[in-house]
This record gives sequence, C-alpha cells and structure tokens, in this order.
Amino acid sequence: MRLNIVIGGKAGQGPNVLAEILSKVLVNQGYYVFDSRSYQSLIRGGHNFNHLTISDDQTRSNDFKIDIIVAIDENTVNVHSKELKKEGIILNSKHNNMYFAGRLFKLLCLDFKLLEQELGKLNKKMIKENLANAKEGYTEEKRQYCQLLKKDKTSKGFMNGSEGVSEGSIKSGLDIFYSYPMTPATPVLVELAQNQDKCNYLVLELENELAIINAAIGSAMTGAKSMIGTSGGGFDLMTEALSLTGIAEIPMVLYLAQRPGPATGLPTYTAQGDLNMARHAGHGEFTRMLLAPGDPIECQELTSQSFYFSQKFKIPVILISDKHLAESFYTITENPKIIQSEKSTSLKRYNSYEKGRNGSATDVPEVINKNIDDRNKKTAEIEKDSMIFDRYKIFGKKNSKNVILSWGSTKGAVLDSIKDIDCKFIQILYIEPFPKEIEKEIKKEDNIILIENNSTGQLAGVLAEKTGIFIDKKNKILRYDGRPFFADELKKEIQRRLK
Amino acid sequence: MIDKTKALKSLETGSANTWCPGCPNFQILAGFKSAMASELEKGKEDFALVTGIGCHGKVYDYVNLVGINTLHGRVLPTCLGLKIGNPNLKIFGFSGDGDAYSEGISHLIHMARYNSDIKYFVHNNQVFSLTVGQPTPTTEKGFKDKTTPFGVKNPPLNPIKLMLASGATFVARIFADVKQVEWITKEALKHKGFSFIEIIQPCIIFHPDIGYKEKTYMLDEAGHDKSSFMQAWKKAEEFDYNEVEKIPLGIFYQTSRQTFEEGFPQLKELMKKKKAWKDIKR
Repeated sequence: MRLNIVIGGKAGQGPNVLAEILSKVLVNQGYYVFDSRSYQSLIRGGHNFNHLTISDDQTRSNDFKIDIIVAIDENTVNVHSKELKKEGIILNSKHNNMYFAGRLFKLLCLDFKLLEQELGKLNKKMIKENLANAKEGYTEEKRQYCQLLKKDKTSKGFMNGSEGVSEGSIKSGLDIFYSYPMTPATPVLVELAQNQDKCNYLVLELENELAIINAAIGSAMTGAKSMIGTSGGGFDLMTEALSLTGIAEIPMVLYLAQRPGPATGLPTYTAQGDLNMARHAGHGEFTRMLLAPGDPIECQELTSQSFYFSQKFKIPVILISDKHLAESFYTITENPKIIQSEKSTSLKRYNSYEKGRNGSATDVPEVINKNIDDRNKKTAEIEKDSMIFDRYKIFGKKNSKNVILSWGSTKGAVLDSIKDIDCKFIQILYIEPFPKEIEKEIKKEDNIILIENNSTGQLAGVLAEKTGIFIDKKNKILRYDGRPFFADELKKEIQRRLK
Repeated sequence: MIDKTKALKSLETGSANTWCPGCPNFQILAGFKSAMASELEKGKEDFALVTGIGCHGKVYDYVNLVGINTLHGRVLPTCLGLKIGNPNLKIFGFSGDGDAYSEGISHLIHMARYNSDIKYFVHNNQVFSLTVGQPTPTTEKGFKDKTTPFGVKNPPLNPIKLMLASGATFVARIFADVKQVEWITKEALKHKGFSFIEIIQPCIIFHPDIGYKEKTYMLDEAGHDKSSFMQAWKKAEEFDYNEVEKIPLGIFYQTSRQTFEEGFPQLKELMKKKKAWKDIKR
C-alpha cells in the first residue's frame, strides 16, 4: 500500500517544514516515507511543493497519482488536481501550514502529542501560535486513513543524498571542503559548514569555482584530504584545473550534483545530463574515476570510496549525483560500509608541465613518455583494485530476459516500479572504470531497457563504447523535463516494453 | 651563521636557464635567491613557491623550493590553498602581468581583501612575452603588434591603485634590480598579511626599457609616509603606466589587520600547534 500526499504552497508558506515534520514522525512510528521537494528559482511566492509517498514497505520514489492534496494556497489545487485519484481528497482552507499539520496528523491517526513535540523544536517564539493552529486542524479533521498502512518495527533513519555525501566525507576523514554555492550542490556545503566545529575540518567559500578547485589543489598538495562541491556550470569552470590534478597527480574528490543544462537550464530541477561531461571534461589524457550513487547509503559508501581511490592513486574522483537524490529524503534501514584511507601526499615539487626528476619543466621525449606511461598504468591498477567494491548491483529476477539498465537517482523509481515485474535490473555504480564484466549478465537475445533522466541516453553510449552492446532506441525510457520518474508511470513504460 | 654559498647551492635545481641573455628576470632571480639564502636557516621546508604561466613562471624551474608551477592566472588561489593546508608555511607567489592582471584579476582583488599571509611578486613587463608580444592590461595606449594593427585603445590598469582600493596591507613597487628584490623580499617576509610587490621588468625583446629606470626614485628617500593611505594614493597616481614622467619605487602603503587564516579557529589551532592538516589523525 502506498499513500501519496502533495503539500503545496508559496515559497515562504512552509510546505517543506510541514513535510519534514510529518515525514520524521511517520518514520519514527515505523512507516517508510519518501519525501521529494520541488521548488522554483525564487525566494518568496511561486509554487513549491513536497511530495510524500508513505508505505508499509520500503519506498524510494513517488507516484504520479496522488491521494491527498494539501493546498496551503489555492494555486496548489489548480496545479495538482489533475494528479488526484478519483477517491482522493483535497485539504484546502485559508490556514497556515501548522493547521494542515494538525489535519494530516489526525487523518493518519498520529497522536497529537507527537506533533506537539515536533513543534517544540521549531522557533520558540512561535510555539503558542503554532500549537493553536495545529490543534484547530486536528480537531476539525474527522476522517482517518490509518487502517491502510501497517507499521514495521525495523529501526529507521531519514536522510537525503546531501546528508549522505556529507556524512560519508566526514567518516572518510575530510580535512577541507571548498565550494561556491550552486543548486543543487549547496545542501552539502550547508551541511558540512554546520558541523565543521564539532568534527574538526574546515569549510570554505571563495570567490569563484576557479579559486575553489585551485585552492583545493594547493591544500591537497600539503597532504590535506580535500573535496570540492559544485553543479554542472561550476564544474565547467573547473575543468582546466581538473586536468591539472591529472598531470600533477593530486588526490581530489569532486562532488558534482547535476541539474538540467545546457547553461542555466532549469536550475532548481533534476537531470542526469552531465555523465558524458564528467567522463570527458579536461584537456589531455589522464585517469579519473566517476562514481554514481543511487541512494543516501550509497552516497556515504561511494564518498568514502572516492577518498580511498583519490588518495591511493593520486587521481581526481568525481562523485556524480543530481537534484533528485541530493534533496529527496529516503527512509534508511541499513548502515553504510565505509572504507578508510591514508593521507598519501606531501608537499614536494609539483608541476603543471611535464616535469623531470628535479621537479622542473622538461621537454625530453624519453622523460615525457615515461611520465605518461607511469600515469596511464593507474587505469589498469584501479580497475583491479575496484573489484572489491560493488561496481554494479543486480536486483529482480536474475534469469529474466528483460534487463533494465540505469544509474544514479533513477534507482529509486526503478526498484519501486519493478516489484512484481519479470525483469532483472542492473544498476551501474562505477561509470569509470566501467564494469565490463556486466557483459556476462546480458545475453545477446535479452531485451535491454534503458532508464535515464536525460534526452539522449548517455549510459547507453557508455555501454556501447565499453562492451559493444547497443540498446534499441524504442527501449530507451528517457525523461528530460526536469522532473524525476514516478514509479506508477515508469511501471507502465516498462510493461509496454517487456518480452 | 648559515653559509650563504652553501645555502645558495641548495636552491639550485640544475635546470638550464632559458631566459633571453640580458633579461631583467635574472636580476629578480638573483635577488630572490640571495634573500632566501639568508632565510634558509629557518629550514627550507618552511617555504613554498608557486609560479604561473609566462616567462616569470620559470622562476620555479630555477629555485629548488617545494610548490608548483601552476596554471595561467591561478597562482593566488593555489597559494591560498597551500596556506590553508598548512598555515605555518611561508608562501611566495610569482606572476606576470598577464597572469596577475588579465587571467587572474579576480583572485588578485579577493586576495587583497582576504589578507592571507602570502608574498606575491608580479613581473610587470607590460606585454605577453612568451606568446611573442601581445598587449596586456598594463600596456600603454598606442602599442602595436601583429594582433593589434589598430593599436591599443584602452588606458592601462594601475595595479597599485587597484591594490590600495582592494584593501591590500602591503603595497610595493620595485625595479628589476638584485638589491631592490633582495630588500623587498626581506621587508615582505617581515610583514604579516598579503604582500603585493610589483616589479617593473622591461622585456628586452617585446617591450624594452623606454627610459623607465632613469625616471625611478625611492619613496623612502623622498620622505614618503607609508602608513598614510592618502599619500600612498597620491604617489600611485604619479605613474599611470601610459606616460612615463617619474616612477616612484618602494613601499607605498603598509598597514596591519587580521589575516585570512587567523579568522578560522581550526587554522589558528594548527598555527598554535605548528601542525598541518596532514598531521591530524582521525
């Protein structure tokens, strides 16, 4: 059973606060919740909403069809009524978000005390007013939806991808995080900045992305574990220095949170359009890794692997996420596997030129060849070393001839949509080095279906390049309107393509 | 006492020098090495060197200090990153006028504002030499080369005024002369904060000395008060990089305020304990 609630209002009316309170209480009570956020590029007004999917089983996505619309403003009804199920309900009256919190708590059979506790954690000056509003809503609402959902006693947490990346980096021994604010990478900057005192690392914002990556290079040269965070546009600005980390052999973790481009594109929405950019950015030839987590636990694990590989091989490692993963909250039931890494570098004579033994620039052919061959050797060594990690994961029916392929944040919607479908789902976590062994998982006669949040199917290109396996155009399920996949819609798309 | 000959020897890299014979860069190199040689008893590992792209960048090839010859325009953020990585390091940055005033201008302004304890030398020859002679932001009006057949139309930037306006705590200009370089390096090392030093360094091929040296005079000999911002501003206006009448040299302005690294408790702790992040075990 899945229950979908959309809570909408103007920016500033606090639909997000309401969604957060309700989600956290539900998770504590034993339910599974997935909470995604949609907002526009503005500060006050417009239309913001949170989409909660509540379930008695693990859920990592939303559905298109919704059961309850909570309309803090009238516009929310206009925007979302077409998504409402026939038997769905709309909560709308001229009240603030806490009034609706009261109504929702009643509807979902949650004790008022639970809401009272959460309100106590908010702005102290507002407690009285918030409580009165919540009480009013709780009293006015008479209906109950709770019999539909069963509790589950597994102990749970609630986390978004940004918190996953932040926790992963702290657990990996982060020393310095540099970032210039850019949606949707900013939440990691905020999260890390808030905890820097407690965990003894440093977070810095400098004048632009060029300063960010070059300062991170300077710090990494001294042996500090350095990481930077940005989105596509900022990453573009950093690419010359990315190339420098290649030749100078500087360990660096680059967190890339995607949003739809080109250029400013759709700054507050989601996309997976930067896979090729991350694979190819930077001039010249150098070894890099590109890791793609698909949920907050994988965010933690792959962040620690990014530090591990960047330190061990003195290379740049790009950790690619997107707005949907970075800002959606997932119910967590497991602990991440963190790998520790040593600080491998120390201050010596680095160079952006090909250098000789004294560290000075050189143009001697034999030296250049040796430098390049030595650096290129890392590719094979990394490939071997990475075998100990899950470079890809397989879900569903292992022997099905329907093979679904995807990466990153699409994992959630795919998993939720294939629960009773005859298919095998391969999630690629390592884009570079690509797990070529998945060739063994895909037979020639298999029906391969690609699912990506972009318009060209970039992973299909990687697959073709690395394995020679091509995916039929009509089997590419692509969404590129800035929105994530809905599980119910995706299920229909997959079913139409099954063999 | 440290043996200066030995110290100088330890700064050699063994790389062959490829500057044009007679280039004023030789004066800068000799002056810097001489100043460094007398500093080395404090331990060579306390110093780091960053240079950019252009003829000046080869200073890195000829001075055996740890650091990097980095990308064009990125000397200052690299220096800042080194300082943040290990706030106990004494860091020298070298740039050309292209590196500092064209490609890296945003970093220069912000570094003056940050006041990180970094010593920054700009070899200003008013031309891109290594790319064979194009104009830079400090090239005088009317200058022509193959890429600018109509001549330079824009007035040159005055970096001294820019640095004063941006909040630099140490603003100096010298001529590419061994003694002056040695002197200002020592003065800059005594200063705590961002030290901006412009070196007038005529390019003997693409922008030769058009009567610069004879028009220079020393500010301290002319009774200049380097603690006065207004006096510094007035002196900065004496040479606009366009018409050469007189060129004041020396320290225009020196003041004191909190450094970038002093603003962060984590970095203050590292300075107190004489440690780098690398030494922090978790």
